Amino acid sequence: MQTLIRALGRMVHGTTWLYTTWWKWFCATLLLYVVIGSFMVPLSPGISKIEPLSFSPDTIYTFKVSTYHTHFNSAAAGKTQFWFKVGNDYFKAKSIEVIGADKLEVKFGVGSLQQDSLKSTSFDVVCNDDIDGTFALREGTTLLKTAKADSTSNIVAISETPQVTHNKHQFLAFPYREILYETIRNTFFHVPMWFAMTMLVMFSLLASILFLIKGDFRFDTYAHQAIIVALLFGVCGYTTGMVWSKYTWFIGLSWWKAIEIMVFQETKLRGALISIIAYLIYLVLRWILSLKAMNIQKRDRAIISAAYNIFAIIIFMWYIFIMPRLHDSLHPGNGGNPAFSKYDLDSTLRMFFYPACIGWIMLGFWIYSILVRMQLIKQKQE
Amino acid sequence: MAKYFLTFISLFLSTFIFAQAETAENSNNFMVSNHKVFVAVAVLTIILVLIFTFLFSIERRLKQLESRQKS
Repeated sequence: MQTLIRALGRMVHGTTWLYTTWWKWFCATLLLYVVIGSFMVPLSPGISKIEPLSFSPDTIYTFKVSTYHTHFNSAAAGKTQFWFKVGNDYFKAKSIEVIGADKLEVKFGVGSLQQDSLKSTSFDVVCNDDIDGTFALREGTTLLKTAKADSTSNIVAISETPQVTHNKHQFLAFPYREILYETIRNTFFHVPMWFAMTMLVMFSLLASILFLIKGDFRFDTYAHQAIIVALLFGVCGYTTGMVWSKYTWFIGLSWWKAIEIMVFQETKLRGALISIIAYLIYLVLRWILSLKAMNIQKRDRAIISAAYNIFAIIIFMWYIFIMPRLHDSLHPGNGGNPAFSKYDLDSTLRMFFYPACIGWIMLGFWIYSILVRMQLIKQKQE
Repeated sequence: MAKYFLTFISLFLSTFIFAQAETAENSNNFMVSNHKVFVAVAVLTIILVLIFTFLFSIERRLKQLESRQKS
């Protein structure tokens, strides 16, 4: 136990890492890579729109399909294929005309005799070519059933087993997700803010505990400065989250309505706000205790704030890590298992996500090191 | 401090202007256009603005320290 405390103390107390520069260069490189790289990589192909949204049986319709980041025109794309999918049945389109690199005109019709054999009336649309792989739009168009089946009609949709060369797109790209679209890049900016905040808060907790054990005032300074930087990252995380959610989850709602949901309803957002306030109280507490009128000794002030820091970490852990897993939340991986599953992050996202996390955490400790060095100079002057 | 605060507030004012017509993905809304790429840009901008604002505030405090050391 003694050796553990001594080792932890050396880690927090060791000021050499505050002054070394190599890891700051490393941090700058990582962040440059993340910022530039993440905006260079395109989204993977996807179907953004199909019209008409509904169709009746016994008529051949011409569907106008708009896609995103596809290469129908290029020579390597090969033959473009298009299916209307219900359940596990793939109905081949009657004809496919390539209008542009991201535009198709597809002819398709369903017979009224077969409308009752379909598992559902909503059709997913699936597209494939050799460069872009297979991509789809769920519930792209809906069949309006007719009451009376026309037996004279000879229009029948034929189901087939799809034959494709590539299922995956043949270039480096982030996954195309409905609602998210290009904002999927915020994974590298919004999420690591909270990781950086968590790391700094943990560091501060460690320093506070070490202060209570050892009574060295430098640990008190470390804890205080780490909380200031943690709050900076917390505020960054919260404001970026507000903007991101406004244009994804709360699209169509007014700002006031969206903020109302963020503050009062959504478990994780509410928790994040409460934990930020909890650490703001830490700073306010320190400030109040340092007032001359309070007439409190320096040692007492440090002990009270260290004790409050331990109390605040419980609030932080409870609202950031426990509550969102107990309740349903809009955040991915909540109301169940945490994120990092294969559905939340694919390999291209990981390529940038892990460097982003390390980079932003390091940036946090970099700013922290500057603050601590300033405090050390200030204390030397006093 | 008030200067930074106003800068921060004015950052959000722009989003209120865009908050008028937003119903579908393909609306004329600037933030939603181009498959919402400007939301990602806005998020990165907010982070950079906040961090740089903080760094400038540190810079100011550091200047005070330095001036005290000289005298």
